[in-house]
Formats: sequence, C-alpha cells, structure tokens
Amino acid sequence: MPAVLTPSALPAERATGDGGFAALPPDEPGGWQRPSGGNRIVQRYKLGVWIGMGGILMFFAALTSAMIVRQGLSNDWQPFSLPPVLYVSTLVLLLSSVTIERAKQALEEDSGDGLRKWVNVSAVLGAAFVAFQLLGWQSLAGRGIYLASNPASSFYYVLTAGHGLHLLGGIAVMAYIWVRLRTNSPWPTRSAVVEATALYWHFLDALWIYILGLLLIWR
Amino acid sequence: MTEVEVSPEVAEYTEVHRHPEPKGFWSKYIFSVDHKVIGIQYLLLAVVAVFVGMALSLLVRLRLICPECSYPTLGTLFPVGAPEGVMTPEFYLAMLTMHGTVMVFMVLTTAPQGGFGNYFLPIQIGAADMAFPRLNMLSFWTTFVSFLLLMAAFVVEGGAPQTGWTGYPPLSAVPEATVQGIGQDLWLASIAVFCIASLLAALNFIVTILDLRAKGLTMMRLPLTCWTWFITAILGLLAFGVLLAAGVLLLMDRNVGTSFFVPGGLVVSDKQIDHSGGSPILWQHLFWFFGHPEVYIAILPGMGVTSHVLSTFARKTVFGYRAMVYAVVAIGLLGFVVWGHHMFVSGMSPYSAFVFSILTMCIGVPSAIKTFNWIGTMWGGKIRFTSPMLYSIGFVSLFVSGGISGIFLGQPTIDLYFHDTYFVVAHFHLIMGVAAIFGMFAGLTFWFPKMFGRMMDERLSKIHFWLTFIGVYAIFGPMHYLGMLPHPRRYAEITGVDFLVEGGAAQLHLFITVAALLTVLAQFLFLYNFVKGIYAGKVCTDPNPWEATTLEWAISSPPPHDNFGGKVPHVYRGAYDFSLRGAKRDFAMQCNDDKAVYGEQSAASGD
Repeated sequence: MPAVLTPSALPAERATGDGGFAALPPDEPGGWQRPSGGNRIVQRYKLGVWIGMGGILMFFAALTSAMIVRQGLSNDWQPFSLPPVLYVSTLVLLLSSVTIERAKQALEEDSGDGLRKWVNVSAVLGAAFVAFQLLGWQSLAGRGIYLASNPASSFYYVLTAGHGLHLLGGIAVMAYIWVRLRTNSPWPTRSAVVEATALYWHFLDALWIYILGLLLIWR
Repeated sequence: MTEVEVSPEVAEYTEVHRHPEPKGFWSKYIFSVDHKVIGIQYLLLAVVAVFVGMALSLLVRLRLICPECSYPTLGTLFPVGAPEGVMTPEFYLAMLTMHGTVMVFMVLTTAPQGGFGNYFLPIQIGAADMAFPRLNMLSFWTTFVSFLLLMAAFVVEGGAPQTGWTGYPPLSAVPEATVQGIGQDLWLASIAVFCIASLLAALNFIVTILDLRAKGLTMMRLPLTCWTWFITAILGLLAFGVLLAAGVLLLMDRNVGTSFFVPGGLVVSDKQIDHSGGSPILWQHLFWFFGHPEVYIAILPGMGVTSHVLSTFARKTVFGYRAMVYAVVAIGLLGFVVWGHHMFVSGMSPYSAFVFSILTMCIGVPSAIKTFNWIGTMWGGKIRFTSPMLYSIGFVSLFVSGGISGIFLGQPTIDLYFHDTYFVVAHFHLIMGVAAIFGMFAGLTFWFPKMFGRMMDERLSKIHFWLTFIGVYAIFGPMHYLGMLPHPRRYAEITGVDFLVEGGAAQLHLFITVAALLTVLAQFLFLYNFVKGIYAGKVCTDPNPWEATTLEWAISSPPPHDNFGGKVPHVYRGAYDFSLRGAKRDFAMQCNDDKAVYGEQSAASGD
C-alpha cells in the first residue's frame, strides 16, 4: 500500500463506513449540534445579546473614562443639579423591566394575547422613559445649560443620548414583535426574539442605573 | 421515503437556519445572506480599496521625490489639490491620510476577517452559515456605506482630510486649522459607521464559534485559522466601541462647539479659538486604546492562515498547537494594555512610559513562541513549495523583520529619537501592512480552488511572490536608514536641512519610489492571475487538491449552498493530523474516524 494515496482515492475512502459524514436522519437539524438542554435557538439569541453587551459596555466605559479624565484636567467643569424628572423616568424604566418579565411569562404560558399585551405595555413605558428624558433635556435648556455649555453638561447630554438611542433600538424590536404577532403567521424564532429582547431590556435598565449613578457621583 | 414527525423544537430549529437557496439576482448576489457570498463581497471591497490605497501611496511617493513635478491628469482631477498638476503640500497630507485610512480600515480589517473569515469559518467548523445570517448581511452593507462615505471625502469642497489616519486633535477638531471643509467630518462619519459594522460582525463571529461547532469539534481541535478569527472578533468587539465613542466626541467638538479635545487659549492663524479646557491627549488615549488592538485585528488572521498553510505543506502537525493557541490569546490580551507606547512623546509620566514599555516587551514572548513554532512546524517536514507555502514563509520573514524594529521602538529612550521618523513607517508597514497582505495572498492562493473550483496559475503566483517579496523589502528596508538619519515622516518636503536634502537621503527616496512603482505593477500580475483563474483557470474537480485536513476540503468546490449538502459533519480529531504512523495515507481529515484512517483491522486491534 502506498504511503500517500492519490486524492482520487478519497471518495471511495469515504464510502466505507460513514467516513465522518453521517447521512441526515430525519429529525437531525443538519449541520448543527443536536439541540440539548433547552431551546438552542433561544440560547443562541441570548448569547448574541450577552456578547453585544460587551461592545456596548466598552462604548460607555470609554465615555466614563473620558468624563473622569476631562473633569480632572481643567477648571472649566461646572457641576449642576440633575433635573428631578430623571427619577420619574428611572421608575418608569424599572417598571418596564417588570412588564417585559410578564411578557416572558405569557410566552411560557403560550398566551398570545398576554404576550402581545405585555410587550406593548413595555414598549409604551420605554417610549415614556424617552419622553421623560427629553423633558429632562428641556428643563436643563430652560436653565441655560446646553450641550456645549461646559464639559459637565456635554457629558450629561452625550451619555443620556447614547443610552436613549440604544433604548430606541429596543423599542423598534418590540414594534417588530407587535407587527409579527398581529399578522399571526408562523414565527419559529418568536421565543428567541422575545427572550433576547427581554435580556437586552434588562441590560439597558441596569445601564441606566449605572449612568444615573455616574452623573450623581461624578458631578 | 418515510415521513417522520419531528419534535417542534427541532422543526423550529431547522426552519430558522436552513435558509432556502435564493433564485433571484438581487437575493443571490447583492443582498445575500449566504456567508460565502458575503465573504466574497468583503474581498471585492478590499480589492477595490487596496488599489485605491496603492494609487494614493504612489502619489505620496512621487511628491516626495519631486515636489515641483507636474502631472497634468492629476491637475484635471484635483484642480485645487494639484493646481496645474503640481501637488500642494496639503494635497500630499490628504493622500497620506486617505492611504492610511483606506488601507487600515477597508483592507486590513475587512479582507482577513470579513472576507476569509466569513467564507471559511462556518465551513471549517461544520456549520451551514454564520449564527445570524441577516446580521452578517447588515454588517457588510454597513461597511460598504462606510467606504462610500470615505470616498466621498475626495470630492467635497476642501478635499480629503489631512490629519493622518490617527486624526489627532486639535488639527482634526478645529476646522480653522486646515483649509478643509467637510472632508474631516465625512472621515469621522465613515469611521463611526465602520465601527458599528465591525461590532455587529464581531458579535456574529463570536457566537458562531461558540455555538455552531460540529459534533466532536472541541475548541482545542479548531483549526488555528478559527482561533485567530475568534480572538480577532473579541478584540474588535472590545476595541471598536471605544473608537466609536471617541469619534462621536470629536464630531461634536468640530460641529457643536463642545470642548472634549480642544484646549483653551488655542490660537490658529492669529485667531483665538472659542474652546476651553479640552485635552488632545485624551483623544490619543482613546484612539490608541482602539488603535493597538486594531494592529492585531489586522495581523492575527494572517498568523492563523500561516500556521494552517505551513502545517499543510510541510506535511507535519503544527508544532506546539496549544502553545500557538495560548500565544494568540496572550497577544490579544496584551494588545489592550500597551497603547501608551504610541504616546511616549506626548509628555506622559516616565513611570507610565516605563510600565507601557515593559508590557510591550512582553508581547515579544508570545510572538517569539509563534515564530519558533512556525519554524518548528517546517523543521524536518516534507515541504511542498507551492505558492501559498511561499507566501506563508514570506509572512514569517516579514513578521520577524517588522517585529525586531518593534523592540527598538518599544523603549521610550530610543523611541524619543525614532518617533515620527521613517523608522516607524518601515516598522509598521512590514509587520501589520505587508505581513498581513502576505497572509491574504497565502489565503487566497490556498483557498482559491475551493472558492472557485479552478486553480490559479502556480507559475504566475510564484513570479508574483518573488517580485513582491523582494519589492517590499526594497521599499521598506531603506526606510530604516532614513529613520536613523533621522528623516521625519509626514513631511511633504524637507527644506533647509542640508544632510537630508542633498546626498544619501534623496537617493534613498528615489530608490524607494522606483521600488514602490515596480511592486505596484507586480500586483497587476496577481490581479490578472486571479481574474484569469476564476474564468479560465484549470478546472479542479478534486475536492482536496492540497491533501489538507480541515472540513472545507471534504466538500465539493465551490461548496454547495448549505455547505454540507444536508449531511452532518462529525469531527474525530485535531486539525493537523499529518504523517500519521500506520495510517493508510499521510494525512487524516478531521471528519475521518479511525476506521477510515487506519483501516478496519488496525482500528479493531487498537493500533
């Protein structure tokens, strides 16, 4: 037997045994590992959100470090009191985390109506949060504190806007869920999308608490 | 065929990830969700970008050897930047900035990861596509928009930005400081969009590797290409968010009047700038926190391909596979804590510089491990000198040559002298520019038969290799001497410094420019070979012409739409089983079980 077989011998080689290529059994998903321990597609979507959090966190970590450095560098930093409406918006956002959990619960109970209702409520609460944040901007502007007034206000606007944009992304996905649920067509990734959205939403909630703390402490 | 009722879970799972083969032109070639098409789209983008980048570098070289020469065509194209065909110093700076930006972002970041990674990662791990195919499509098209934004900077009033690919403020932050209009804004917008595209792509790569590996394919059985794509994706995920944040702040400094990076009391052209208290150094920190990992984003996939190709054509397993994996991980980790070595002359505390210097030296350890292991892989092997093998050996050579000058530059005392000289230009071009490009040449010639079902012309590839290999050393070798003079970089022309204007330096510049012209010409040979290969190359019916081991070589060329044609690959062994004792042939594919490798009897007797 030659030490090196010619490449043309390859297909025959594989014909013996399975050669590593099992024909696809009818219940095998094909190309992927067999689903094990819960719904794989849900796990994959959630893993995606977890990884995505890493990137978003680095964005806000960079802003945080820039803020701390910028404050320490010069004497033009002018602290200001946060608009009280922020506490209302915080409560609204926390509440929306509760309602998105209710949506997940409805999903588990396979209640389409419940799911639709709680996703909608969460989206409305998210929109309300954004509205309250805008009121916060308005109240600052009323006090003559604008984006370029001084570095403290610059970072306030940048951080709240950055968080708000991420939140609008979440609301857009909720709107998508609402549309998909309305059309009633088969939707194999439904659980995955809803669970991933809920995870993302909780993350934005925690991120907001962090930003609020930063704005309070590092004034 | 018997109908079998599948569980809802599996039905759901299958439904989601078996996207049907597209029929229409748009869904098949333009807005495709197939990772193979997207990989080729990334590669095409990089090819266009690399020729733009090369043209820009030639303009830079021509301006350096003859500041007063006139090029009428250029005068027609850029009446402001090159009046009557004579390039202004501002035009020189703009070409230099765009060369760096196009090459770093649109070539070195897109092709190795977005191109080859997209095409071969799912196949090498036995998956039918990336984890999120639609997100993958979005990543590419976002990158494309970013490229268009960058190109638009050429044609707006005031022309392309002139602040270098690092965009240091206050030059980049104060529109009054340069004649340019919105070129710099377009540049920043392009970078910001590119960051978003890269973040989405990084997320997709990481989930794909963690979640979609075939049965039996443990992390320590992954081909080293996959490992480098994995670490590159992690670097991208953690680095691009920081650049995005910095870019947003700089855009606001330019356009809304904030003062993140612009210092107070700045006077530009006798005019007091209305900013206060910002720090240009803050930009440098944020930029280089991204910038250094970016270097590894460019080079790591090249390392992966090199390891892969060296092992395949030396017919030997990778020497120290685990050490190679740990070295890649170590390089990735260390890459995040050495950014300060780009800022030794920024006035940082000598103690900080000392720490950054020590950490930088530490990178020498995993880099040396990789180099020794590459040599160890080839040592005593039955080497087949194919073109991908030559490019990979070229990679090792360039990596070492560029790496050694890095040890000089990593020491603050020496860097004070070398900073912003041609020594630095030589260093980074060799190690992250040309070495990474050689990694791409290796990848392209190696995977070409798999991607297109045809062979490239080996003879032409080899001629191209030697021309390019000698060419790049002829370009960047003499730059070390220029740097030692020391000849500063980024100067359109030197006036009033006799020893730089007369004598050796000018001749070296001339030599480098001629070498650059010839090397660029040689690239058309590769382009010709590539295009000819696609349409008229020798047809390669053999799925495994190189007798390689990884999964992509077990399927037909080009691969079918769902990669494995409805079958499930199982992996039984590591990625580099060559020259096995007692085996029926000198390599074992990852999907071959012992029975297939050693035969029925040997497997039964447990030999």
